Amino acid sequence: MKLELGNIEITDIQFSNESRVKGSTLYVNKKEIENLILEDEHIKEVKIDIAKPGESTRITPVKDVVEPRVKVSGDGGVFPGVISKDETVGTGRTNVLKGAAVVTTGKIVGFQEGIIDMSGKGAQYTPFSQTYNLVLSCEKADDIKAHTYERAVRMAGLKTATYLGELARDIEPDNIESYETLPLMKSKEEFKGLPSVAYVQMLQSQGLLHDTYVYGVDAKQIIPTLIYPTEIMDGAIISGNCVSACDKNTTYHHQNNCVVHDLYKRHGKDINFIGVIITNENVYLADKERASNWTAKLADFLGVDGVVVSQEGFGNPDTDLIMNCKKIEEKGIDTVIITDEYAGRDGASQSLADADEKANAVITGGNANELITLPPMDKIIGHIDYVNKIAGGFEGNMTEDGSITVELQAIIGATNELGFNKLTAREY
Amino acid sequence: MSKYKIVHYINQFYAGIGGEDMANYEPEKREGFVGPGQAFQGNLKSEAEITATIICGDSYYNENMEEAKNKILSMVKEENPDLFIAGPAFNAGRYGMACGDIASYVEKELGIKSITGMYIENPGVDSYKKNIYIIETKNSAAGMRKAVKSMSAFGLKLLNNEEILSPSEEGYIKRGLRKNIFVEKRGSERAVDMLIKKLKKEEFTTEFPMPEFDRVPPSPAIKDMSKAKIAIVTSGGIVPINNPDHIEASSASKYGKYDISRFKNLTCEDHETAHGGYDPSYANEDADRVIPIDVLRDMEKSNRIGKLHNYFYTTTGNGTAVANAKAFAAEIAQELISDGVDAVILTST
Amino acid sequence: MKVKIITNNPLVYSLYSEDYDIDYQEISYEGILKKTRDYVHKGHELLTHPLSGSVKPNETPFKTLLISSKSKDLNLESLSIIEKSIETSEKFVQNQKKYPADIEKDFMEIDLSLIENVINKLL
Repeated sequence: MKLELGNIEITDIQFSNESRVKGSTLYVNKKEIENLILEDEHIKEVKIDIAKPGESTRITPVKDVVEPRVKVSGDGGVFPGVISKDETVGTGRTNVLKGAAVVTTGKIVGFQEGIIDMSGKGAQYTPFSQTYNLVLSCEKADDIKAHTYERAVRMAGLKTATYLGELARDIEPDNIESYETLPLMKSKEEFKGLPSVAYVQMLQSQGLLHDTYVYGVDAKQIIPTLIYPTEIMDGAIISGNCVSACDKNTTYHHQNNCVVHDLYKRHGKDINFIGVIITNENVYLADKERASNWTAKLADFLGVDGVVVSQEGFGNPDTDLIMNCKKIEEKGIDTVIITDEYAGRDGASQSLADADEKANAVITGGNANELITLPPMDKIIGHIDYVNKIAGGFEGNMTEDGSITVELQAIIGATNELGFNKLTAREY
Repeated sequence: MSKYKIVHYINQFYAGIGGEDMANYEPEKREGFVGPGQAFQGNLKSEAEITATIICGDSYYNENMEEAKNKILSMVKEENPDLFIAGPAFNAGRYGMACGDIASYVEKELGIKSITGMYIENPGVDSYKKNIYIIETKNSAAGMRKAVKSMSAFGLKLLNNEEILSPSEEGYIKRGLRKNIFVEKRGSERAVDMLIKKLKKEEFTTEFPMPEFDRVPPSPAIKDMSKAKIAIVTSGGIVPINNPDHIEASSASKYGKYDISRFKNLTCEDHETAHGGYDPSYANEDADRVIPIDVLRDMEKSNRIGKLHNYFYTTTGNGTAVANAKAFAAEIAQELISDGVDAVILTST
Repeated sequence: MKVKIITNNPLVYSLYSEDYDIDYQEISYEGILKKTRDYVHKGHELLTHPLSGSVKPNETPFKTLLISSKSKDLNLESLSIIEKSIETSEKFVQNQKKYPADIEKDFMEIDLSLIENVINKLL
């Protein structure tokens, strides 16, 4: 399976009476997007804002971030099984509005979390301070349930990203990257002599606000399975996850899965990157046993020499991570795991909820409990009054000048467990 | 600019008062530096001055902790220094415990920056490294010069509010504190690099070492068992009947110490198990099945062992936090050593 | 499998109390974990992960857990998971006192959602 990503670099975003891409500027017709979102009866009102890098702007509570993409050629369309028909994606050409992002906010539940600061100290912890963001603040219709509202906001983000992506269909990309994964046996033949490596991606799948969808299927329901890395780039995996802002994977993270990209970089040189195993993180302990058994079995079945395992979320998934690692190592397969830590505000507590000595190669995205003081911002998009309720916040954390002290876990993507950031933690 | 003020804490030995015979020496404050303080003052030059030295016997401190702590605290308070230096204690266990404890207490209660110096294996290290900076030293006073030099330099850094770098750069013992830093490469790239190294069997460094599972090197073998004093310690929960100290059936928060000097054999009349993690019927029927007092008495009689210690120690092992178990063990071991026990039989269930 | 529900979530109680063996107590999140540990000590098997949900232990007041209704020998795996979970929850700084009613209800919903997936599967 071979996919070309055609990147169109976006360095500005503006409202206009016609939606289009000209040069490196994304022009957006606000009205058309409003209409698109209000098609859904569950959303009563939407407010659309622009947030650019370097501005004194804070967005909160963030639900999801989506990158606008369009399938120019090859089977299917973006977000298969959800926006587009259920065809297998991952081939042909996909154009990307690189540098643009759709950010959704909405008070799904009262303790909704997730901060993006476009400048100041907090900006260096989230990748979305570097993107040109179209921010949708969606108010729910009266008397609808949290489930329905979550779905409506999720769809609003995907629909808007698809709408913007369409604008890139006929534009000549600034650069084209090419990614190819061969069928297993061919790949083994072609790269004989190189160690073969798979990527095990764990998907959050616990329940309301904790879900991930694969081709529209709730990941709770899946048995670990195989997917081509390029399918993920076309939006085969999307986020329905709203909690644990710092270490949840937004849809943007999935589309730009950095483990996939970094494995491709060494593919054919140091390793033979043969594909991705996706698995879930269920609540039921018997599900955990089965999922980790299957993950290890698939890795063994594929005859790989090594795997990278990435986690998503806090607490419960630590157990899945350790089970996966242990069982894969027991098959004689070298394993590296990516996680993050909850070591307490002073960094003195035990970082993970589970541990095993087989997990001897660990990458960490940092300590999510560490405190950070964010300076006041001129503009707030969303609802700031929830900042003391969110996971990383606490009562009395807001000072008079408007600066707030929170745990790092309040910031979107701060300790991402795909390894999206340059942050890590060390022992002092 | 006025000089920073420092208070220095040392034990009776370094104050020149005496050795073990004077270890009960009560806390005393003297003006200026005493003993190793002179070397500190030399290194601190004109930037800081040791205004007072507090001297306390190691036994006094460890046996009267609350009292010692508070006496010393009020002495420090009178001086109101900018920095509190304790030791260095090198590998002296009780001195290390005292230095670590008082430095932690001064920092916590008075908010005065505090440091000490120890050899890595000093028991004070594990107990106090999370609270304060402990500069790594050699295992004996032969390393005094170097220890004083690095402690002084580090103390001055703290006084001047300079950025404290990593343990290896600064020479302090790793405190087990996780701190965030930005590095050159993103996590996924670091993961792929690490995997390739692992595949090639090259060396790599994990970013998060898993909690250590203790591997204890065995002590040297006892040469003459017929002269050895043997004690018995168990995590099998054997207690005198009715569990007088209410040791928990699981996740124990305490251990018990019980006199067995009058027992030749344990029976269901006098002992039972408090353990909730195994079928207790066999242990309750005859507690010798968990701690074989009957057999050990026979061995004592036939002189296969010198003597069975008069007390046994017990707790329940199931679900008990490692930290608790470690703390119990440290206390038990200390007592066993001072009671002249040569070897321990550790039984589990 | 016959299960027992341990919860401090009134919503879970109202939905499942008729059809399930349920131990409902108005105690804290941590209280529920410790209550569950008591059951594990008595030989019940833990069926769901105590730290289910990425909502942090110092954030949500509600917790629902499933254990086997039958008690057998002490299950060491269960004991290890519940002990580690209690240890983990203890390190979170308690920073919320009382939530407004609407937020409290949201927390109940989330907790319910985490457990209903499992309960539905058992039917």
